[in-house]
Amino acid sequence: MTERRLAVRLKVPDNTAYTALVALRRLGVPVARVERATLIVVAAADDSAALEGVRRDEALFNANLHEVELVRCSAPEAGEIWVRARDASSMQAWRLFDEDGAPVPRATLEWARDALLCNPAIETAVVGR
Amino acid sequence: MIDVALRGDERRRIAEALGREPTRVELYAFDAQWSEHCSYKSSRAHLRRLPTSGERVVLGPGEDAGILYLGEHDGERYAVVVAHESHNHPSQVVPFEGAATGVGGIVRDVLCMGAHVFGIADALRFGDVATPGTHRRHVAQAVVDGISAYGNAIGVPNLAGDAFFHEGFNENCLVNVIALGLVKEKEIVHSFAPPGSEGWPLVLVGKATDASGFGGASFSSLVLDAENEAANKGAVQVPDPFLENVLMRATYRVFALLHERGITAACKDLGAGGVMGCSAEICASGGYGARVDLDRINVAQANLPPEILAVGETQERMIFALPPEVVASVLRIYNEEFSLPEIAYNARAVVIGNVTKEKRYVLTHHGQAVMDVDIETLTKPREGALVPSEMGGARKVETASGAAELDAENPLSRLAALLSSLDGCSREPLYRRYDTVVRGCTVVPRGYADAGVVAPIPGSPLGVAVAVAGNPRYGVANPQLAAEYAVVEAVRKVVAVGARPIGLTDCLNFGNPTSAEHYAEFVAAVDGLAHTARDLGLPFVSGNVSFYNENASGKAIPASAIVACIGVLNDVARIVTPALKQAGSTLRFTRDIEEVLRAIQEGTVLACHVVTGDGVYAAAVEMACAAVRAGSELGVRLSDRLLRTDRGGFLLESSASCAEQVGTVLGEPIVVVGEASRSVREMYDAWAGRLDEIYA
Amino acid sequence: MRSVAVLVFPGTNSEEETVRLLRVYGADARLVHWSCAQTLGEYDAYVLSGGFAYEDRIRAGAIAARDAMMDPVIDGARQGKLVMGICNGAQILLEAGLVPGSGDSRRPTAAFTRNVPPHFICKQVYVKLTVEPRRSIITAALAAGAVLPAWAAHGEGRLAAGAEQMAQIANENHLAFVYARADGRVDDAATPNGSALHCAGLVNRDGNVLALMPHPERVFPARSALFESFVKGVEAS
Repeated sequence: MTERRLAVRLKVPDNTAYTALVALRRLGVPVARVERATLIVVAAADDSAALEGVRRDEALFNANLHEVELVRCSAPEAGEIWVRARDASSMQAWRLFDEDGAPVPRATLEWARDALLCNPAIETAVVGR
Repeated sequence: MIDVALRGDERRRIAEALGREPTRVELYAFDAQWSEHCSYKSSRAHLRRLPTSGERVVLGPGEDAGILYLGEHDGERYAVVVAHESHNHPSQVVPFEGAATGVGGIVRDVLCMGAHVFGIADALRFGDVATPGTHRRHVAQAVVDGISAYGNAIGVPNLAGDAFFHEGFNENCLVNVIALGLVKEKEIVHSFAPPGSEGWPLVLVGKATDASGFGGASFSSLVLDAENEAANKGAVQVPDPFLENVLMRATYRVFALLHERGITAACKDLGAGGVMGCSAEICASGGYGARVDLDRINVAQANLPPEILAVGETQERMIFALPPEVVASVLRIYNEEFSLPEIAYNARAVVIGNVTKEKRYVLTHHGQAVMDVDIETLTKPREGALVPSEMGGARKVETASGAAELDAENPLSRLAALLSSLDGCSREPLYRRYDTVVRGCTVVPRGYADAGVVAPIPGSPLGVAVAVAGNPRYGVANPQLAAEYAVVEAVRKVVAVGARPIGLTDCLNFGNPTSAEHYAEFVAAVDGLAHTARDLGLPFVSGNVSFYNENASGKAIPASAIVACIGVLNDVARIVTPALKQAGSTLRFTRDIEEVLRAIQEGTVLACHVVTGDGVYAAAVEMACAAVRAGSELGVRLSDRLLRTDRGGFLLESSASCAEQVGTVLGEPIVVVGEASRSVREMYDAWAGRLDEIYA
Repeated sequence: MRSVAVLVFPGTNSEEETVRLLRVYGADARLVHWSCAQTLGEYDAYVLSGGFAYEDRIRAGAIAARDAMMDPVIDGARQGKLVMGICNGAQILLEAGLVPGSGDSRRPTAAFTRNVPPHFICKQVYVKLTVEPRRSIITAALAAGAVLPAWAAHGEGRLAAGAEQMAQIANENHLAFVYARADGRVDDAATPNGSALHCAGLVNRDGNVLALMPHPERVFPARSALFESFVKGVEAS
């Protein structure tokens, strides 16, 4: 059994991501699109067992609403920020894109983190390169 | 090509009515309008037997909600708007979202009548929830969370409801929701284009249309395929209570503007049938036609096909028919003052078409007419389409009452078992997730009495009581009797707080109406509702029918006629709750509604509780439990005479002694029957905590 | 007479009962909608009412705390104007860094976050004043140790913060209200959400900003010694 990280995403419109986008732009953060996923860590024998485990957990996953995929990286990618409440096991992964659809630079991610996405009193955040 | 629920002969009837083959959009449109959900084609003839008139009825069934006269305050006549619907099928497949969108829809049904929404209620029927990890247990949890998330966020208190757990709902839960609103009688907004509205713009308000809710009307008219839930995903409806919260407040502002300017407009919620169904019904019911340009609809995604723009069931939308001179102001309220486009992606108010004199329903897309039909053919109610050829009898009667067992030996241990069972235990762990007191008008919050009581007009002592009933165990035994009990029990619950019942709503949840057996159950239930309501002199002002509630192998749910009762109180200071109040007082049993109301009015009733099929002993112990919860240390000594109580009634606590008393209130927290006694605290803990295993 | 603004963010839902109860005690209280944010500076005091501003997306109160609506409130608080936040209003005040207020502006040092167990809970509760009433001008007219009825109605009401901050909250008299039984006893059973220190309400250093999770304004019929004390404080400030 090894730990695997999985991302669960909505395949229907993500209202929270839209509100985050509007709020970040109002704060002046140069971002054109926001995506969001929930990252969970499970212990499983192999990849397919990990995926199957999530797909079977109705509290996490409904095939009508969600899609799930394995996350190979152990740290956020470019344009990505992972936020974890200190007492929670799952994380929120935010992906920020600029007008051209490219991941935003690290400085913009840090701005978004400090301006809105993380409350340092109760959460920790890791930003991508 | 098209996965619609229309039967072959109906397709032929469309072609006949049009005199040509329908277009793709027309086929979807007729599918939505003629489906069971929109036209009640199997039920309309029977529903006509329900009493719907009375001196309190301001508006009976027919529009989005019914209206009952409440009373006068400050020279204004006020009325209560009430609607009652099911959201069973969506809740079975995507329980959180399905239940949440059910709340959103019923709230808009009340809102669009010009009302301020002041309460919701829910009647939930779940399967056997004992086993963790099952879908049915998840449904029971996620439905409650969905109702909670939506109702709490929009700021409407959950006033009343009930929940039952029965294996008959393992594959088909029931989620019935009720919404209540307050309106001044002179400010009611109707859902028909008013006289003289020819040429008026039709304004669509709310969420940007997407493909998420496509096919909902047919969806609820088809049997759920439990093995293939993903196939139904087109009909998943995505709730946005944040948008609804803002939409409600903006709409209150719009109504205020219309009243200030003395304008009569039309407003209607979009239900199954989407933009097409809503705009067609507004215009047809006013004697007009409509012309709608699908390209003007605000969309969430590009290149949506015209049939989705026309009949998709995207949530949080309404349509107005407005006189041209007020349109700019209404658009400004929604789009600027309440900034809808910033609340949800591309949410806004837009003009999408016009009311027309010619009684056609015309949809254009990219400059082409994609639908052009006679509007009455499209919207006219159709009936009798699905009456089964051979009427079977109702299922055989079984005994459903627990009372008989309790009267046997050792009643206290049986009573303790009943009160700690899923059937008999407190629903508090469930309704604790609902905001029951937002708006600050809740007089008796949910769970503190048999009915919830609210004082909806600030500054006025007028109160509204609401309660629901419909025991599925009776439904299994005898659908007609179950329907009768549902009426009687909902009425009793309202009476028990001291409110005078003024009206009823119903939701009839049954199996496949093309099955003779299930159709007969439905017909029997309507009989039960009709004659019981008539006997009590109460009208049904709103209702809904939900068929095809069955599992994959065709087994129907327990027949479930669910009834809500609305009552009024002239002074909310006089309400009565079930919690025992005073040592030395007496308990008596009665079935006489007028006697109960009179005694409460005279101020001689300390506490009152409805006796259900669980019997007098259970009711008395619940009264003691309610006292424990309120912090009093009281108990009861109950007569050990056998009581024939399976028809239910009321248990009243009063300080005067009487000849027919069934018990005495004790100054210590014990329940005594004959020689046996038990601690109330112990029974309370088992009663109050049982549902923690599901809703901890 | 001094004026009180009751702020309405998108998603607020308790504005009507809040303004009604302030008026019961004679306050000149008015609703200020988000489209009228520019008028907020003119008011003498602010109340942030309950609800789900921006539906509490991202975190409870997070977006509202950074809204332009909060600029005049933060400026006003610095000038000594009274600010009271109830439920969602309390969450917003913590996210805005006004309470406990030991960090920079708009840098939160604590939060009211996900309940334990992690569900919305609606329950009648009591809150007990644990600071000397005059510690805050908002509570000055309450009796010492006052126990007040209220309704908890929230999914994110558990006080959480780092250890250092938590010690500061306790040691520097920020803990204004705790959950209690009707008789004033404080214990875990009376605390509906697992809140640290049994915290129901926090006050800032200067005593002019109060954040309270449960709703006094939802008790029926509407009466609240705290609202009365707040209105007196506004007139005296």
